[in-house]
Amino acid sequence: MDNKALSLKGSSLLLLLLSNLLLCGSVGSLPVCPSGAVNCEVSLRDLFDRAVVLSHYIHNLSAEMFRKFDQQYAQGKGFMARAINSCHTASIPTPENKEQAQSIHHEALLSLVLGVLRSWNAPLYHLATEVRGMQGPQGDILSKAIEIEERNKQLLEGMEKILGEVFPGIKENEILSVWPGFPTPQTADEDSRLSAFYNLLYCLRRDSHKVDSYLKLLKCRIIYDNNC
Amino acid sequence: MKHQVASTLIPILLLFLSIDLLKGQSPPGKPEITKCRSTEKETFSCWWKPGPDGGLPTNYTLTYHKEKDSVIYECPDYKTSGPNSCFFNRKFTSIWTVYVITVNATNQMGSSISNPYYVDVAYVVEPEPPLNLTLKIKYPENQKPYLWIKWSSPSLIDIRSGWLTLQYEIRLKPEKAAEWETHFAGQQTQFKIFSLYPGEKYLVQVRCKPDHGFWSKWGPENFIQIPNDVANTDTTVWIFVAVLSVVVCLIMVWAVALKGYSMMTCILPPVPGPKIKGFDTHLLEGKSEELLSALGCQDFPSDCEDLLVELLEVVDSESQQLMSASSKEHLDQSMTKSKHPAPNRDSGLGSCDSSSLLSEKYKEPQENPPAFHTPEGIKKPESSETNGTHAWVPQNLGLGSQIPYSYASGPPSSTRPSPQLPSLQDAMASYHNIADVCKLAMGTPGALATSLDNTEHRALQPLETTETAGEKKAAEQSEVESTHSEADPDTPPQLVPFISEKPLDYVAIHKITKDGALSLLPKKENSNQTEKSGALAPSQEYTKVSRVVGDRILVLVQDLRAPNPASFEELVEEPPPSLQENQGEKDVASYARVPSSFGLQLAGSEYLDPVCLKHSFQ
Repeated sequence: MDNKALSLKGSSLLLLLLSNLLLCGSVGSLPVCPSGAVNCEVSLRDLFDRAVVLSHYIHNLSAEMFRKFDQQYAQGKGFMARAINSCHTASIPTPENKEQAQSIHHEALLSLVLGVLRSWNAPLYHLATEVRGMQGPQGDILSKAIEIEERNKQLLEGMEKILGEVFPGIKENEILSVWPGFPTPQTADEDSRLSAFYNLLYCLRRDSHKVDSYLKLLKCRIIYDNNC
Repeated sequence: MKHQVASTLIPILLLFLSIDLLKGQSPPGKPEITKCRSTEKETFSCWWKPGPDGGLPTNYTLTYHKEKDSVIYECPDYKTSGPNSCFFNRKFTSIWTVYVITVNATNQMGSSISNPYYVDVAYVVEPEPPLNLTLKIKYPENQKPYLWIKWSSPSLIDIRSGWLTLQYEIRLKPEKAAEWETHFAGQQTQFKIFSLYPGEKYLVQVRCKPDHGFWSKWGPENFIQIPNDVANTDTTVWIFVAVLSVVVCLIMVWAVALKGYSMMTCILPPVPGPKIKGFDTHLLEGKSEELLSALGCQDFPSDCEDLLVELLEVVDSESQQLMSASSKEHLDQSMTKSKHPAPNRDSGLGSCDSSSLLSEKYKEPQENPPAFHTPEGIKKPESSETNGTHAWVPQNLGLGSQIPYSYASGPPSSTRPSPQLPSLQDAMASYHNIADVCKLAMGTPGALATSLDNTEHRALQPLETTETAGEKKAAEQSEVESTHSEADPDTPPQLVPFISEKPLDYVAIHKITKDGALSLLPKKENSNQTEKSGALAPSQEYTKVSRVVGDRILVLVQDLRAPNPASFEELVEEPPPSLQENQGEKDVASYARVPSSFGLQLAGSEYLDPVCLKHSFQ
């Protein structure tokens, strides 16, 4: 039953993924290893294609979620000023422009990407939980939050695989930023809670954009030899 | 002193102020930053909108600080992006960093500062339009010609390294058209357009969009003239198809018009006639072929429908059968289940509505003496085994005794499964039974005849007249004489007895003699009688025609004078005038007419249609 449920879930998620993609070309030809398959050989090119598709999709969802939340809950409240410098992943030294990104080595960049993804596991889980407790219509935001959480896990899995293929036997330094968590309900009023939420969505939008850009850079660099 | 100075200074200041106000000068209004855009995600520019300048030359300064540090910088380049703009080059641009930007407007009178504007370069990418749009018409071999559109990505955008991924969109329209036709081109930098109108001048534009950002503006228009020789092969094909379909439609319409009626009859066959209640189709199963053969049909239903007329006939021995052509349905059912009889078999039956046929049948040599069968069971249709006797037994014998009926099936080769006997459960069944008997009789090639068993045979023929109380309500056929039995195939077939549940007084048809005389007996007298002779108690016979009821109904009464079958014979055999004499009814004549279609009275009264009798005695 588990396998069935998993495969059903996987196929439905895959359908959702395909329907949301902006990059049309790479979607149709993605081979997927059935879950649990042992000797499934997926080429690095396909791994990267899939990872890029996932990262692109996750950022689209994040941007949309932030926009909706901003529209519904944050109008005229000046949350943006408080959101600056509030991301828990700020400690991870990611490149800030193209030159920096191009000068960093593949391996390091891959590790950074993995670190960011790992750091978001816990917050995404809590995000889904918190959204359910919000007042007002939040169905759309909730569904996006759940979707992003799922996709993030898949992307992390894929990236770990890619790292293993590109740099087999690498001793991975565990980059991780711990998320401080939401303000506890007792201490926070509604405004603080909303502000904390706003910060989280703001940071998620940014980090998903970073990851997407880095992966596209890496793909063109590793697979297409800088000739995309 | 001080007071004096102050008192003079203040009016002077006020004077200056008023002079300024009179001139219309004021500090500048608050400027507003309108937008910031990056064309390639490596540099960016911001534009602001100045407020009212207060009539004085106003100076604008843009200051910013990044999210991480609090150092305030001033705009490095006010020129590159035009008036009221600030351009940040690569050195000053950080992606994924929020810039807090403010603009300060200063003039002689004062200054005013704008609201802070927060911008993250990653989300404000808007590229330039694509470049080098070229249009060309290509004529490949064995293919339709098409318009080939090609362009290149905007300059400065780094696609090769994957820093930005662009998607394109083209649009085109004929010069005079109002609406643009838009096509999404994905990440490719070329596009093919088919299906263009020859002789038209087309305008084409292209734009692009980064993976997460804004659409660029539409590029410069380019136009191309489609030459007239660009053939549109689609239209010729469609014209051909249209002409062909029109021709086909015309042919079909013509065919329908010509053969409309026959097609309608083929599609919607005529509705069969009403079904007579009381016919037990089960009993008739398998006998249809025999019946039909008697009618002279080989192909049912097409040939035989006309012959299926509502007539009841009693036929004697080879030719003595009770026939009825009333219910086509029964025949239908029985027809479908039985084989066709041999065409040359002389069943001795005439068609139910055709006297000529009947007479023919009668004249034909009786090839096969009928064989009689003892009853086997009520509802078992007998297949082609002739030797077993088949009892035509009604289902519910109201009288509490089973009266097996048997019919003569022909010689072995010609036997047919016996049709189911009609249900005798209702009073009306009795009359219909006769009809069934007719059918059965017709079906058997030899002769359908009821044969009496050693057990009780009771022929019940309800002849009911609703009006006469003095007479027996129904004629009951007690026993049909039969010289049947397996041992005696030569005996003529006898009338099939019927049984009705209804507690009526029936005139029992005692026997049908060789001459075709029908002798009738009252019901009570015939129980347990297995008479084979024609001797009858004189007073019990219903041999006198009392009167004619309605149309074509002959009412028989007891003839107390001389219960002589012969007299009955006379009665029946005589041509219509004699009947008329006896009755004084003109309707009687109608009974003598064979070919007319006699309807079996269904509405609750049972009648013995004397036409059958008449024929049997001829």
